[in-house]
Amino acid sequence: MDLAFTPEELAFRDEIRTWVHANLPKHISDKVHAAQRLTRDDMQTWAKILGKKGWLGYGWPQQFGGPGWNAVQKHLFEEECALAGAPRVVPFGPVMVAPVIMAFGNAEQQQRFLPGIASGEVWWSQGYSEPGSGSDLASLKTRAERKGDKYIVNGQKTWTTLGQYGEWIFCLVRTSTEGKPQTGISFLLIDMKSPGVTVRPIKLLDGECEVNEVWFDNVEVPAENLIGEENKGWTYAKHLLSHERTNIADVNRAKRELERLKRIAKTEGVLEDFRFRDEIAKLEVDIVALEMLVLRVLSAEKSGKNSLDIAGLLKIRGSEIQQRYTELMMQAAGPFSLPFIFEAMEAGWQGNFPGGVVANAPLASNYFNMRKTTIYGGSNEVQRNIVSQTVLG
Amino acid sequence: MDFDFSEDQEQLRDAVRKWVDKGYDFERRRAIVNAGGFDRAAYNELAELGLAGLYVSEEHGGLGMGPVEAMVVMEELGRGIVLEPLAQTLIASAVLQTHAPAALQSAWLPRIAGGEAIVVLAHQERGARHHLNRCQAAAKEAGGQWTVSGTKSIVPVGDQADAFIVPALAGGQMALFLVERGAAGVKAEGYLTQDGARAAEVSFANSPAQLITKNGQTALEEAADIGSACVCAEGVGVMDKTLAITAEYMNTRKQFGVPIATFQALRHRIADMKMQLELARSMSYYASLKLKTPESERRQAIARARYQLGNAMRFVGQSAVQLHGGIGVTDEYIVSHYFKKLTQLEMTFGDTLHHLGEVSNRMQDTAGVFA
Repeated sequence: MDLAFTPEELAFRDEIRTWVHANLPKHISDKVHAAQRLTRDDMQTWAKILGKKGWLGYGWPQQFGGPGWNAVQKHLFEEECALAGAPRVVPFGPVMVAPVIMAFGNAEQQQRFLPGIASGEVWWSQGYSEPGSGSDLASLKTRAERKGDKYIVNGQKTWTTLGQYGEWIFCLVRTSTEGKPQTGISFLLIDMKSPGVTVRPIKLLDGECEVNEVWFDNVEVPAENLIGEENKGWTYAKHLLSHERTNIADVNRAKRELERLKRIAKTEGVLEDFRFRDEIAKLEVDIVALEMLVLRVLSAEKSGKNSLDIAGLLKIRGSEIQQRYTELMMQAAGPFSLPFIFEAMEAGWQGNFPGGVVANAPLASNYFNMRKTTIYGGSNEVQRNIVSQTVLG
Repeated sequence: MDFDFSEDQEQLRDAVRKWVDKGYDFERRRAIVNAGGFDRAAYNELAELGLAGLYVSEEHGGLGMGPVEAMVVMEELGRGIVLEPLAQTLIASAVLQTHAPAALQSAWLPRIAGGEAIVVLAHQERGARHHLNRCQAAAKEAGGQWTVSGTKSIVPVGDQADAFIVPALAGGQMALFLVERGAAGVKAEGYLTQDGARAAEVSFANSPAQLITKNGQTALEEAADIGSACVCAEGVGVMDKTLAITAEYMNTRKQFGVPIATFQALRHRIADMKMQLELARSMSYYASLKLKTPESERRQAIARARYQLGNAMRFVGQSAVQLHGGIGVTDEYIVSHYFKKLTQLEMTFGDTLHHLGEVSNRMQDTAGVFA
């Protein structure tokens, strides 16, 4: 039992820190620290910088061109990026579909798709949820019918995050209606430029178009884009879920945002108000406890001794904390979080924000936006079902 | 970064668990409560396992172990809601070993390690609540002999212990003294506490005392933090067992023709209990692993851990009773005793609001496990 990182791990962290500070463009980190709107270009710029260094696929093994880092090193990398104000790596390519292609794709697919993901050139989207299939994902209906060397895809996906930028989309599609719903699902990669693909942004409660509906109308997909075997897609998707473990807690970002919350509270004059200050103190404890939970998982992964089946707990707690810090930031600004001036959330806006503190402009929108975190990725209620299974069987 | 236990630590855990399972079942515990809440024979069995000397150096006949081993032991004692106050022994031996003059150490540490002497901290005063710097008891020195006067409340096994570690003001400064229970002017009135353990109101009237340290505030804070780390570890053990008892009950108890474990409202409550347990376990590790860090870092870590643990213990205890239904509020069934233990632990060495205040006062711009 030891709470300290090893000298090697600390040296690794310093190396990452130095590199991130030298390579992360300031105009991007400034936006992240102020929670201003990021453009596609901002996200892509950082992805390509990481890609050039070979770190966009920072969780990848060396045989696929990744750095081959262990769990602790991955965590330290994520932490340094988060604290420095780097945009989050858009996960759909490097974190979500790439591990599936590595584990279940054939050599040809690996050579074809992985380089574009590793470099950040190709923007991937995720096609899982459907209007009728949210928590009950296995009930999905988007149909892929095999016709010769092609699949003909018909149906609709929804909540496709940043799908408006997507060039490729990995989809769960129904290839069979026999047996249990889970056994008739396949994992298909689809070029979003294919005829018959339509993307329509969905405006969310904060005014942003972060997610999309994606329609497939007789879309022809070459059969060679099928990953693994037909009707085994559910298994592959579950493999993918098991791949994001500690980073679903997003504790590193929470640490950065806790600092921002304290800055906002200071500016707004509520940091010395006991009632408000104690709420921040509670959040601070929540974040430290979450970090300890994450470190325990990392230690278990590193040593392979005591595996901890607590991914559900990480998701629940991490998402609750994300909601809490945005809530407290909004409450700190109080009425000055209320003016809804869309342009004031952009970097470099020159107008006069009511009250004079433009940093307050995105706080309510961020709060509204974060309601998604307890809904997506398996709602927290579904997570509680899973957790209860570990206790009750 | 390593949260695995060593082989020795696992063996220690197994030994204590075996004793709790075989030697300290619910019937024995109930008999001890009925007989006054403390059993010297049971305490001696802990001493025979070496646990009374866990913190005592090998030179003085102990095991010379550290906070992680203490944590392992306290977790296991928590699982059996053991009444005998081993945490007090850990506190007393640490205080004496760190602060007492050599003669006092040689006189007491071997006897503590062997179980012949029980020494407990007698610090709680009516007017102090959870503030360690508030003290009314006073000490005087005359002709090279110290005497202590004052009253201390809720002293664990206060009418059974052999000696007390007593904070008292000496020339306006808090100092720590060792006072034997048999000394002149010492009066101890024992009673049961809510968890079934024993405590006493202990008063001192010009009682002969031996000076441990004039640096009493620092030493008392250390003692309280060791006690808090014990509370965390013990709480984790109690909660771990509480969750297991509740899960078993839910899988057995039938209503509407099915086990109540099938009802989602109840399943979600148990998922929330599991959450609190794992956060608490994480923070218990944190507390014990920070116990040897510099004072401000240690005090902050302990306060954070106790805030987390306090909420967790209350939630897990209340939920366990609720999920059991009527049987949960009976004296006959085991779970109410776990609930009462968790309730009492929350108020030992500072309650949750007190520790929240400490966290709040100590807040810096940045925060995390390492800051």
